Amino acid sequence: MRVCETRWVVSTAPLLRLDGVSKRYASVTALDDLTIEIPRGRIGLVGANGAGKTTTFKLLLGLAHPSAGRVEVCGIDVADDPVGVRARLGYMPEHDCLPLDQTAADVVSTFGELSGLPARAARQRASDILDLVGLDEARFRPIGGFSTGMRQRTKLAQALVGDPELVLLDEPTAGLDPLGREEMLALVARLGTFGISVLMATHLLDDVQQVCDHVVMIDGGRLVVSGSTESLLERTGVVTVDVGDRGPELAAALEAIGIVSSSADGLVEVGVSDDRGLDTLRDTIARLGLPLYRLSDRVTSLDDVFLRLSREAS
Amino acid sequence: MNTGAGTGTGTGGAVYDRGYRPYEGPRGRRGAATFALYTASMRRALGLRRSWRQKVAPFVLLAVVTVPAIVDVGIGYVTRDRGFDRIEIITYREYVGVSSALLLFVALVAPDVICPDRRQRVLPLMFARPMLGRDYVVAKVGAIASILFAFSFIPQLVLYAGNMLVSDSALDYLTGHLSELWQVPTAVLLLSVYYAVIGVAIASLTDRRIVAGASVIGLFLVTSITSGVITEDGRRSEGSLGALINVLRLPLYLRDIVFLGEIERRTPLSGVAGGGAMAAGLYTAILVTGLVVLLRRYRWVER
Repeated sequence: MRVCETRWVVSTAPLLRLDGVSKRYASVTALDDLTIEIPRGRIGLVGANGAGKTTTFKLLLGLAHPSAGRVEVCGIDVADDPVGVRARLGYMPEHDCLPLDQTAADVVSTFGELSGLPARAARQRASDILDLVGLDEARFRPIGGFSTGMRQRTKLAQALVGDPELVLLDEPTAGLDPLGREEMLALVARLGTFGISVLMATHLLDDVQQVCDHVVMIDGGRLVVSGSTESLLERTGVVTVDVGDRGPELAAALEAIGIVSSSADGLVEVGVSDDRGLDTLRDTIARLGLPLYRLSDRVTSLDDVFLRLSREAS
Repeated sequence: MNTGAGTGTGTGGAVYDRGYRPYEGPRGRRGAATFALYTASMRRALGLRRSWRQKVAPFVLLAVVTVPAIVDVGIGYVTRDRGFDRIEIITYREYVGVSSALLLFVALVAPDVICPDRRQRVLPLMFARPMLGRDYVVAKVGAIASILFAFSFIPQLVLYAGNMLVSDSALDYLTGHLSELWQVPTAVLLLSVYYAVIGVAIASLTDRRIVAGASVIGLFLVTSITSGVITEDGRRSEGSLGALINVLRLPLYLRDIVFLGEIERRTPLSGVAGGGAMAAGLYTAILVTGLVVLLRRYRWVER
């Protein structure tokens, strides 16, 4: 059965739609009445360990069936056409999953063929994708001799080789050193520019904040919040000022005119409620003749948002 | 969408980031994925794209099972003009029996193409592709059965072609041995599918190759020894139902039916009323059991 299709016809349907989805195992409810609609782009699926992220991935791949509710991926009902859904997805699991005695080129090429590509096209794409993820020189080496970072890149390459419409990344930065993590996140960030949507499951909110434009937070199988990253990062009404080692001098001057501030680690945090407050701060710095290295709004981190909303929900 | 960018230096040199090129060509689905897994499993079993050590076992085995054909044809060639009857050291029917030596190959290769998928946790990657659990089973069993068929059939081809060439008249030999043209492939197919299903089914139950290999050999040894003990007693009369316990020999009774239309007289099952039908029924039952084990083992993909 060979169906000739070319590049996906991208529908206008939401990337993912979960409608009242629950997944119950014998004694555990992994997902509980989850209803979300997620647009195309780079999406972070955030939650603590055991929050239901991996279960969500299994449901999206059609590897598990929901106990209740309906799951749609790229406008296709997973229950009706799991094979059709899988043909549009790439998947990078968290755990080790590569045959260690084969070369990266062989593995990625084979997975390209398993994604439905003809053998020659799969070999060509394997070469291109390994080049893209930075493994061009190592592609003929057995994976058993790869570092953790190289294995993560190989896992990403096999997920991309079939040119998916959506790629599911399960903790892509797990086990990586800081440099490897930055490189992996840079790669993930680039995927959006290739026309590939990304759903990245992680418990590292910094990673999500860095690369994702939409965040879905789940906790204990329940939806905490779903929204654009920007809309979740609220202003706190606090401005951070860097005036070098003269921070205490600025803090004292602001205190004297009744503006709340604190100085720590060479930075001064100033409570500013409106534009007039900002003008006053600027004038004070000028009057004292202080050097101004940086002045920025302090926004909440996703960690703050997650902790606050989880507390509210419980 | 090509996001690649080139940076010219003005002196002819340039560094290119090739970026990402989307795939615009044809794309298959289940059939293509199954065929891809089938060919990948064949490559692995034959040691292709692997170190030379992995290639030794399959090709030495192929050479070994081809030796009787070469010897037979060689004798035919040496004695062709000597004026006495052709000395035939092995018949086509008996040669199918030699193929049961490929049991060793099954014990070695079936675990090698099955166990690492589970042990190295590659299965989730495979089933994230457009394929189902039954496609995986078809691809794996198909790969092992195809190699077994080829390794059993190639020596027979050598024997047939060699005999044709050393006979007085190749055309007479061909017309005189037309029935072998369907009997040999049919009997070899029966053996190949049988050993492949048993080998793959046993290998699917563990993620350790050594355990799977030992289990395959153990099953055949234990059942053949048990059957031997039982039928030894039975020899006093005329064959014994105990012969059916021998899982290793079971497909050879079907081979006899294909070639002779009945169970061969010197076998432990000869003389047992309905022995052929019982052998065929048991053969089918074992095949079905093996396939059910495999489909249940990989059905989680479809739940």
